[in-house]
Amino acid sequence: MSAHTHAPYEPVFVGARKAELTQLLTRYPTKMAALLPALWMVQEDRRWISEEAMTEVAAQLDLTAAYVKGVVSFYTMYHQHPVGNHFIQVCTTSPCLCAGADKVVDAFLEHTGCKELGVTSADGRYTVIEVECLGACGFATPVQVNLDYIENVTADKVPQILAGLK
Amino acid sequence: MADNTVNLTIEGRAVSVPAGTSILEAAKTVGVLIPHYCYHSGLPVAGVCRMCLVEVEKSPKLAPACATTVGEGQVVHVYSAKALEARKGVLEFLLINHPLDCPICDQSGECELQDYTFQEGRADSRYREPKRFNPMEDFGGDVLYVQNRCILCTRCVRFMDDVHHAPVLNVTERGDRAFIGKAPDADLTQPWAANVVDLCPVGALVSKDFLNKARAWELDRTASVCTGCSQGCNITVEMRDNVVVRFKPRANEHVNHFYMCDEGRANYRWLNRPDRLEVPMADGRPVDWEVALAATAALLKGKKAHIVANASLSNEAMHLIKRIAGKTGGAVTYAVNTGIEAALPGATDLAVRADRAANATAAELFGFTRTSDVLSGLSAQHVLIIVDDALDGISADAVAKAGAVIVIATAMPTAVARANVVLPIANVVEEEGTLTNLRGRVQRFLQSKQAPGLARPSWFVLADLLQSLGEVAPHLTARAAFDALAKAEPAFAGMNYDTLALSGQTVPGALAGARA
Repeated sequence: MSAHTHAPYEPVFVGARKAELTQLLTRYPTKMAALLPALWMVQEDRRWISEEAMTEVAAQLDLTAAYVKGVVSFYTMYHQHPVGNHFIQVCTTSPCLCAGADKVVDAFLEHTGCKELGVTSADGRYTVIEVECLGACGFATPVQVNLDYIENVTADKVPQILAGLK
Repeated sequence: MADNTVNLTIEGRAVSVPAGTSILEAAKTVGVLIPHYCYHSGLPVAGVCRMCLVEVEKSPKLAPACATTVGEGQVVHVYSAKALEARKGVLEFLLINHPLDCPICDQSGECELQDYTFQEGRADSRYREPKRFNPMEDFGGDVLYVQNRCILCTRCVRFMDDVHHAPVLNVTERGDRAFIGKAPDADLTQPWAANVVDLCPVGALVSKDFLNKARAWELDRTASVCTGCSQGCNITVEMRDNVVVRFKPRANEHVNHFYMCDEGRANYRWLNRPDRLEVPMADGRPVDWEVALAATAALLKGKKAHIVANASLSNEAMHLIKRIAGKTGGAVTYAVNTGIEAALPGATDLAVRADRAANATAAELFGFTRTSDVLSGLSAQHVLIIVDDALDGISADAVAKAGAVIVIATAMPTAVARANVVLPIANVVEEEGTLTNLRGRVQRFLQSKQAPGLARPSWFVLADLLQSLGEVAPHLTARAAFDALAKAEPAFAGMNYDTLALSGQTVPGALAGARA
């Protein structure tokens, strides 16, 4: 098992979260159908989905841990490893590259202290990755930090953006 | 719904099959094997490999034969240019990341990827980029996963989900990164898990036990029956240079479908044991068979026999033991090792049975006494005849109570300090015969291997012994031994080797009814 789980696993679906899941299940014909939103709830709370969490979700939805793991690993937006508090996604699809997205990526890596793409900074604050089209080509380069979009980012704006992140 | 037969044409052959049959299964009935990977008749249809694409006239697109049901008047072309081109494309994609390491792959020679590529694939590859590489993974149990060879047919996943009801496998990741993954902390140690190795059409799931032991084309294969428990799974004994190297399940819809359990699969090494009895002995000296048999007859003259029979002996041997016991006025006892029963939930009436012996049914049928104390009542008045029983848990002192000891066995039981006569016999893969499983199904096993030294088939030795006691039992062949049994025992009436064939026949009447 992964090295970052020394502490006993704390279930996600207790109290209010459990109530939320119960409410969620009323919207779907089967429990299985609620798998994606249930996994989002885990990721909102924990920022990533551990194998223990997959097992918990499986138990909540009468699925098998193997099935849940197959789904989690299928979708790239579910994190199977811990990521930084600020998950920074830089669009590097063609129009953004023309607008200097590669320099934006380099600037984020330099100013966050992340050694390379996908590797969390030593202080645990940042993870930077490249993503395919964020659908904001008119505002190249868009950067998504957690759920927020920042548009028209250039390399020189990066320190200021990082300073604004809590 | 009186007539729900569908008539169609496959490769120019007229086919009539029940409605709902897939084109792939319909084609099989007229001897056309449509290439396929993900389809397996024991598993739910997935339709993921696209290898079974065939052309159906008037249908705009090629159809996957496994997932397309037959329709009245359909005209199916398996080998049309369009179908062949499509399958050639499928094969080219499957081989993009395949390592082509056939020279070191255990599946080589029995690999469907090799077979179909040879049959209808491209002779070369147009792929010039580096291939994906992933390390092998030990899946636990007897299963090694060689990811690079995997074509993601998902047979293994469906077997564990839908047949074993132990859903621990999945497809992890997606696209060209996809591979077969396991649930967190799970492994393939379930009692039937190693069947995924047989189901895997390529060399992605291989047996750790068999790893690098032999090439598939070097093996001699013989139809047999597993003696691990009373289920009587049909198997193929596979040997290399007169050494048994593995058991593989042999399909029989009435007994084991396509499967065998891991315990049975692993239970072949004893057949190669070197410490075998090879020469008849009388009073500790090697002698001719005639001398040994005469010595046995002399010992039995006017004495009662106490016979301990191994519960995995053939029907023929058991029958002859019954006759010897009748002639000498003695009892026959047998012990049965028991274990935990483990069913394969998705298959009808299939389990590793609690009775870990192959033929307790016949022993019961012939009126032998089942007991854990097989020497109960033994005294100096008795001649103890041990027929291939290991005498587990029996002390040498208990054996020594007998007036005389005759060992008819493959190996010397440790509890026997001194035997008056030793008659060496063949083990189950060295002789022919039949076994009766717990549902009363009588099944043949064939000889795969040479018996060591002067050892002879058990039914041959026991018939000779009967003859030396003055009875008529001229069984020179296994067939004759079975015919004599079928004539004498009402439960086996009307059976012969031809009706048994290689899939067996159920004994009629009381036994089958009582146990069904």
